[in-house]
Amino acid sequence: MSQLYDLKVFIEERIKAKGLDAADVKGHIGLKSGRLLAFISPSTPDDPVAVAKLKQAIKDVLNVCA
Amino acid sequence: MKWNSIQSKVLAALITCLVVGVSGILGLMQYSFARNSQALALESVTGSQKLFTILEAREISKMTAVSDLLIMNSQIRDAFAAKDRSRLLELTAPLYPQLKSEGITNWMFHTPEPDMAVFLRLHNPSKFGDHLNRFLDKKAVQSHTIVTGNELARAGFAERILRPVSDSQGKVTGYVEFGEELGQFIHTMKSQTGNDYGLLLSKKFVDRQFWADSSATWKRRDNWDDNAKFVVADKTTANDNIIRFTGDLATVPDQGMVLERFRDGDSILVRGIFPIHDAAGNTAGAMFVVRDISAVYVAMRQTENILVLVIVVSLLFGMTLVLLLLNQLVFKRLQHIIHVATRVVGGDFESEIKVSADDEVGQLEELFEQFRQVFVNILSQFSELQEKR
Repeated sequence: MSQLYDLKVFIEERIKAKGLDAADVKGHIGLKSGRLLAFISPSTPDDPVAVAKLKQAIKDVLNVCA
Repeated sequence: MKWNSIQSKVLAALITCLVVGVSGILGLMQYSFARNSQALALESVTGSQKLFTILEAREISKMTAVSDLLIMNSQIRDAFAAKDRSRLLELTAPLYPQLKSEGITNWMFHTPEPDMAVFLRLHNPSKFGDHLNRFLDKKAVQSHTIVTGNELARAGFAERILRPVSDSQGKVTGYVEFGEELGQFIHTMKSQTGNDYGLLLSKKFVDRQFWADSSATWKRRDNWDDNAKFVVADKTTANDNIIRFTGDLATVPDQGMVLERFRDGDSILVRGIFPIHDAAGNTAGAMFVVRDISAVYVAMRQTENILVLVIVVSLLFGMTLVLLLLNQLVFKRLQHIIHVATRVVGGDFESEIKVSADDEVGQLEELFEQFRQVFVNILSQFSELQEKR
């Protein structure tokens, strides 16, 4: 599995754990990172720039380090 | 509200309008008050000058009428022609207190030219035989008619009339003179206008020693050193602060001039001055006019406060209205577009942007909805493609 997909799973777990609005949170993270989370699958190839952007977006929106 | 948001900028612009508006009104009120006080001061000067001229004319008429009656009295005329001082005093002395009560403070008989000496002073009978050599004396000798005018003499600055007295053959046997101190005019003027006045005499025309002597005689403070170029002969107020003039009386224009606005305690006052010429045309004195414009000032301040209050309330109301309208018509709808766009990106493809009005933001809503539908379609096609693989 790719690192990007791991991050997507991490996001979904956080949303579930905290009972957040999934579409809203995913939307904010997607807009900040410039990537649609729906398009990230286990086979999505890793890209260091995309991973860094997604981690930064998670930190900005959820206020946690992935 | 973020500092760089449109709302903050609009709010800053409205607050700027409020400050500029209030400052403008305050400035305008100050300007208006300055102009009004100048106009009031000018009106006081010109009005007082006119009143002074009227009083002068009235008193000249009165003294002329008194002199007419006097020379019609053959006993007085004969005693004067015979140069019988005791008889003349006996006949005229009972009249003097009555004339004095009417304002005539000086009454004199002069011998004819070429001697032209004082024959009898009703206001000071023990003093006679002196020569005054005044402008009016010379004018009366030259014309042998009634001459009038203001003359600054040892007895003070007075309005005088001088007329020849003739015997039955028409020969001039001497002159009779009546005079009224100009100082008493200012009290009449105050009672009529409510303004305060000061009678100023140019030091060029007043003898220092005489001023000191007369101050002692009349038990008044010797104020010679109070001002550089003039002395205050009389004033209608006990307050010395309100009479301030640093210029030369000779430079005061004939129509008078407004000096300045000033504050004395709680009162706001304006000063002005107009010249008083003697019979020879010299500016021997001046009338200082002080008008209390506190009532105008208070009214102006009240109007200013009301205007400021009205402007502040109006602008605050306007600001609230503008912000509410902007919020309802623009910001709320933009926020909705952002919210829906975010949810769609987050995977909620069912969220829709409803066009809420047919205006500029409505066009943006319509565009975003079309864009959302295109985006959702692409996403569906992409998903189908992925599934087929």
